Amino acid sequence: MQVTAIGTVTVMILLLGTVLFAQETLGRIGGNEIAKIEISAFMSDKASPADAKRLAAALKRDPRVKSVTYVPKAAGLRQMRDRLRGQIDTSLLTSNPLPDALRIRVVDPNAVHAVADVVRKMPNVANVEYQRDFVDRLLRLYDVMSKVSVAFIALLVITAAIIISNTIRLTVYARRREIAIMQLVGASGTYIRLPFICEGLLDGVIGAVLAVGLLAVGRWQLWPRLESALPFFPLQQADSNFGLFALQLLGVGALVGIVASWISVGRYLRT
Amino acid sequence: MIALRGVTLIYPNGTRALDGIDLEIAKGSFVFLVGHSGTGKSSLLRLLYREQRPTSGTVIVDGVEVDKLRRAKVPELRRKVGVVFQDFKLLLDKTIWENVAFALQVTGARTRDVMRQVPRVLDLVGMAHKSRVFPNELSGGEQQRAAIARALVNNPKILLCDEPTGNLDPVNTNEVVDLLHRINLKGTTVVVATHNALAVDRMRRRVIRLEHRQVLADDERGLYHGIESESRADGEDLALAARVRSGLGQDPILSE
Ligand SMILES: Nc1ncnc2c1ncn2[C@@H]1O[C@H](COP(=O)(O)OP(=O)(O)OP(=O)(O)O)[C@@H](O)[C@H]1O
Ligand SMILES: [Mg+2]
Repeated sequence: MQVTAIGTVTVMILLLGTVLFAQETLGRIGGNEIAKIEISAFMSDKASPADAKRLAAALKRDPRVKSVTYVPKAAGLRQMRDRLRGQIDTSLLTSNPLPDALRIRVVDPNAVHAVADVVRKMPNVANVEYQRDFVDRLLRLYDVMSKVSVAFIALLVITAAIIISNTIRLTVYARRREIAIMQLVGASGTYIRLPFICEGLLDGVIGAVLAVGLLAVGRWQLWPRLESALPFFPLQQADSNFGLFALQLLGVGALVGIVASWISVGRYLRT
Repeated sequence: MIALRGVTLIYPNGTRALDGIDLEIAKGSFVFLVGHSGTGKSSLLRLLYREQRPTSGTVIVDGVEVDKLRRAKVPELRRKVGVVFQDFKLLLDKTIWENVAFALQVTGARTRDVMRQVPRVLDLVGMAHKSRVFPNELSGGEQQRAAIARALVNNPKILLCDEPTGNLDPVNTNEVVDLLHRINLKGTTVVVATHNALAVDRMRRRVIRLEHRQVLADDERGLYHGIESESRADGEDLALAARVRSGLGQDPILSE
């Protein structure tokens, strides 16, 4: 019975660790993409460089804004030439069609739309451009991903809790005569619960230790191989602190064990 | 020591077990609780150690309103009230010593106290020589004495016994009743629910008779079949009177 409980916790923590790890990796890849998102605000013809700089200063005070770069029309043209080199003959561009521009980056991708709207309404701004579709799709992907993983994790935790709780209930049942006597002679509720809580805690911790061990193997044995097998895929080595991560997973195992056994003993003692 | 005021108990399934019970039991007294099967003797005892709460009314044990007692305070009550049952409820995988010590250990008692109290109560019930023996190796009477030792090891003020002699032959019954008497003489309030006419009539102590969930009679020096049976038996041998009635199937011990 113990084996079932420990095994379930192991599987739960293993999957939990994998999900969190995958989430972090994808988050980092996505984060790189998001960091590239830029809002371009093109100034109207009448606006002077001073107007543009004043605007840039105003935007920098907005907490949602990470950075504002002022790109005078000459620099803009140079960047465009660089970007389009080989695709079209940029020497055809004899006059500079570009206005002065501001390149704005935001802290939180969710704020892109809002910031763009604010910028659009500012004086001397003729036009605002950004990759609206791309931002939307990325945000939606993120949303779905986090909802799915939260649901998945919740499911895992609940399953493990139910199995531990059943295991403890069997132990409680096997010792029901002893418990009845303890209650009769005036043992405190805590005293009666403690051994069962400890058992649940132990199930949780042992399961978590096994899972963390397996995760460590994955982290140091499998991951480097995966990285060298997929060099084109931007899988950077997780730079997060594995020790802290392991500790958190142990905490989850312990907590699930304690809560599950607490509930199952409590339910028994009340009846 | 014990008081019940207008106590009614209706079980969750709707069974009425007690109906407006009023009674007081003085400190240091010895009380028999008698009555037909199903009249609520066990239910009344359960109220006293808060295994049950009354549906209405007040139950006071040693100055505490037991019916209003918070769950966390129940252990405190249970240490003041020892309980003994017909089926002993000893743990079969523990020796007599371990069974008695268990009751003390689980209340967080120190080893020093366990080493002092366990021999004391085993001595009191005359089981010191059998302390290393397992319950299954003992007679019913011996097991019941061990159970009494366990109930006493916390030095309770009150000892509740629910048919303590129900599984015992007359010899063992007498031993257990004598033991309860001795315990009472040491100052413990003793309440015994019983069907055993011999025990009740031998002791001539207070007898509370339940009938139809209510107190039907309460005699200071009572008899199992009521003190009127004494006058009706007029000059007859008391034991004979009891035996005549047991012939009607009222007494499980004698009708054996
Ligand atoms: N846990 C319970 N749930 C529901 N009804 C119960 C419960 N315990 C007892 N009763 C009912 O309450 C009534 C009183 O029962 P109780 O056990 O107190 O009687 P008693 O006087 O002890 O009987 P006996 O002499 O046979 O031991 C009976 O009708 C019984 O069926
Ligand atoms: Mg009964």
